[in-house]
Amino acid sequence: MNAQLWVRINRRVLLIMNNPKGCREHAAGVVRGLATAGIVTALATSLPFEAYAGEDNDTLVWSTASEIGSLDTYYANMRETLILTYAMCDSLIYRDPETGNYEGLLATDWKWIDDTTLELTIRSGVTFHDGNELTPDDVAYTLNHISDPETPSQVSFLSNWIDRVEVTGPQTVKVHAKAPTPAALEYLGGATPIFQAGHYDDAPKLGDGNSDFGAVQPVCTGPYEVDDFVPGETVTLKKYDGYFADSPKGQPQIGTIQFRTIRDPEAQIAELVTGGIDWIWGVPSENAEILSQQPGISVASAPTMRMSFLSLDAAGRSGDTPVTDVRVRQAIAYAIDRDAIVDNLAGEGAVVLKSMCVPDQAGCTTDVKQYDYDPDKARALLAEAGYDDGLNLPFYAYRDRPYSEAVMNYMREVGISTDLQFLKWGALRPTLSGGEAEVAHLTNGSNGILDATASLGYYFGGGEMDYARNEELSGWLSEAGRTTDPNARATLYEKAASKIADEAYFVPLFLYGRTYAYTSDLNFPATGDELAHFYRASWN
Amino acid sequence: MLTYFLRRLLLTAAVLFATSIIAFLLVHLTADPASTMAGEGASASDLEVIRETYGFNRPLYVQYTAWLLDLLQGDFGRSYYLRRDVSEILAERIPVTVTLGVSALCFSIVVSLTLGVCAALRPNSIIDRFALWLAVAGQALPSFLVAIGLMYVFGVYMRLLPISGVSDWTGYILPVVALGYYSTPSLMRLTRAGMLEALQSDHVRTARAYGLSPWRVTIRHALRHAILPVVSVAAVELGFMLGGSIIVESVFSLKGLGYLAWESIQRADIQVIQSILLLVAASYAVLTLCADLLNAALDPRVRH
Repeated sequence: MNAQLWVRINRRVLLIMNNPKGCREHAAGVVRGLATAGIVTALATSLPFEAYAGEDNDTLVWSTASEIGSLDTYYANMRETLILTYAMCDSLIYRDPETGNYEGLLATDWKWIDDTTLELTIRSGVTFHDGNELTPDDVAYTLNHISDPETPSQVSFLSNWIDRVEVTGPQTVKVHAKAPTPAALEYLGGATPIFQAGHYDDAPKLGDGNSDFGAVQPVCTGPYEVDDFVPGETVTLKKYDGYFADSPKGQPQIGTIQFRTIRDPEAQIAELVTGGIDWIWGVPSENAEILSQQPGISVASAPTMRMSFLSLDAAGRSGDTPVTDVRVRQAIAYAIDRDAIVDNLAGEGAVVLKSMCVPDQAGCTTDVKQYDYDPDKARALLAEAGYDDGLNLPFYAYRDRPYSEAVMNYMREVGISTDLQFLKWGALRPTLSGGEAEVAHLTNGSNGILDATASLGYYFGGGEMDYARNEELSGWLSEAGRTTDPNARATLYEKAASKIADEAYFVPLFLYGRTYAYTSDLNFPATGDELAHFYRASWN
Repeated sequence: MLTYFLRRLLLTAAVLFATSIIAFLLVHLTADPASTMAGEGASASDLEVIRETYGFNRPLYVQYTAWLLDLLQGDFGRSYYLRRDVSEILAERIPVTVTLGVSALCFSIVVSLTLGVCAALRPNSIIDRFALWLAVAGQALPSFLVAIGLMYVFGVYMRLLPISGVSDWTGYILPVVALGYYSTPSLMRLTRAGMLEALQSDHVRTARAYGLSPWRVTIRHALRHAILPVVSVAAVELGFMLGGSIIVESVFSLKGLGYLAWESIQRADIQVIQSILLLVAASYAVLTLCADLLNAALDPRVRH
């Protein structure tokens, strides 16, 4: 059909060229030859090209703008790798993304022997994709490898609480923690895949003799196994037929899952509409509305764990700065209309962030002082602090510039002018850790950890990102990080969150949303953990 | 001539050496690769381990010397992000960019010559007006807009051509048109002007008087004369196309050199950035050296 259309177009071109009013006779001869070549080209190019995606091929093709350089989530800390890890690999414990409950995955049972010793029973009859059976040795090897302080893991926060892991029986291991670790189950769930003993032994060497562990392709026990991997381009997984029957993840339904990097968002949408791919995320709200009206396309939004907030140098680490004055910090908080940013800018799925932690995180409370949009109050506070004529602050940012500019505009409205320093993360991080940022617009996804230690503990626990430097506050958080009693932890985190809000140490802005667009043939569970659980997806 | 050759060769080597130092310093001083690799949530001790593993904690001159020595042995290093040897990556990416650039130039030349000749043969006709319109539109429209427009018409609406990637040669068609279209206006106007001048020249009039066919007069006598400046400009355009294909590569998800450079800068993949910078600089330096030597061979005065 398309070929016929092309032929008609080219015939029309020929007719025009043959018209004496067009070119001179001899010129038409030249063009005629070219037009004929055009017809041939059109015929050749209009041959149907193969479609790789969709239910017909039992192949789910999903795409983002990121290039995947490694399939090992320990050495490639990015969402896409984690999504693939969930499909390829299993961890000891599984946190159901819909209910939030912990269930046994590679471990069938676990118990705390004492405050720092966790004993786990390893499931029998589970095989790796190469056919070898899972043993406790594999568990001990993996956890000991990633908890080794010399290992250049990019997710050391998942394992740096582990002192050592030992095999204690035919199906049991003991995890010895350095200190009481109430979030241990969270750390062992999902993002901590188990590899075979000796997995990293043949890692390629770097120039100075160190091993490039991230270059080793994972062989796991998960519902899907790696079929093909082209770094920076595609990852193809196929259903693992030997996946153990009673997995809480369920049995894989779709035959093949393929990841493709498509940098341009318009190209992603075009591929989705034409059936070249089945699933994309991060769809801007204006495109989401149009896509939702397309036949055969479904659109879903969900909040994520990524917080957007302002870091304020309350401790004066950067020197003599106005933001050491609580009235100035509160003025900034009152100046920003967070509801308007969420409604008009951040898009579907985004919600106002009420505290400096994610509501789903254990220990997080949102019942703290709120600074509703009140520019008059902001101006009054600034005047009270001695800044009637306004003030100027450097403003660091690294991500989603439009959001930063919206915040800066609100600050400007009440008399706080800003000098935007928009940097790459690699350049901003040393500035932040060096205590040089008076005001910084930051985001953090808590690395998917559903425990307040990953948010409150990270920013106010006395570490290099702590711009409050309040010993009482960091003491509470430190104690909460060691306390196993849930009620005592909740009390400590509540005190900490309230203190942060009262003092306006940081200004919480919003939780990012994610909008997903996918073929209506796909039954896709959009969850709030910003992970696409494709192993739970199926065709309608 | 030999002395001149050696002098130019030394100068080229010095330029490359200076470029390598600048490239190395620029990359290392603008971002902390360990911070980029570690991502958010990494602690200071995590960064130290990464610096130790990848050697970022060594003094800059030590890192530079090690890199230079490896380079002299043909080892471009290893990408920290893609976990592969840089030479392997470059071997995959360079052909994509070269294919795209050369094809786009060919497309541009074919369209420019055809329309330019037609416009010159019939000044102020519909074809001439169309060529003018195309020239104005080509210079006014940014390449990403042309790319997205082509994608919509031929990929989404007509479903004739692939939208992204190059699983086969059809994947190059839209990117080639998008990239080639941008340089078409200048080449076309140049062809038209050259042809107008050539068609009024004595030798073309004589050729017509001899009764030669219109095709032969146009192609062998007029166009041959008019095409000389077009060739010079086309060579410059090729340089722009090879260096400036990043937008088109990005829109159509072609894994070319420009795209690789951009992505590597985003993730501070130092070895890749340095290699690309040096490769591009070496290309220009070698081409300049060749041009200098050619000039010297043609004109003895240049040697002195």
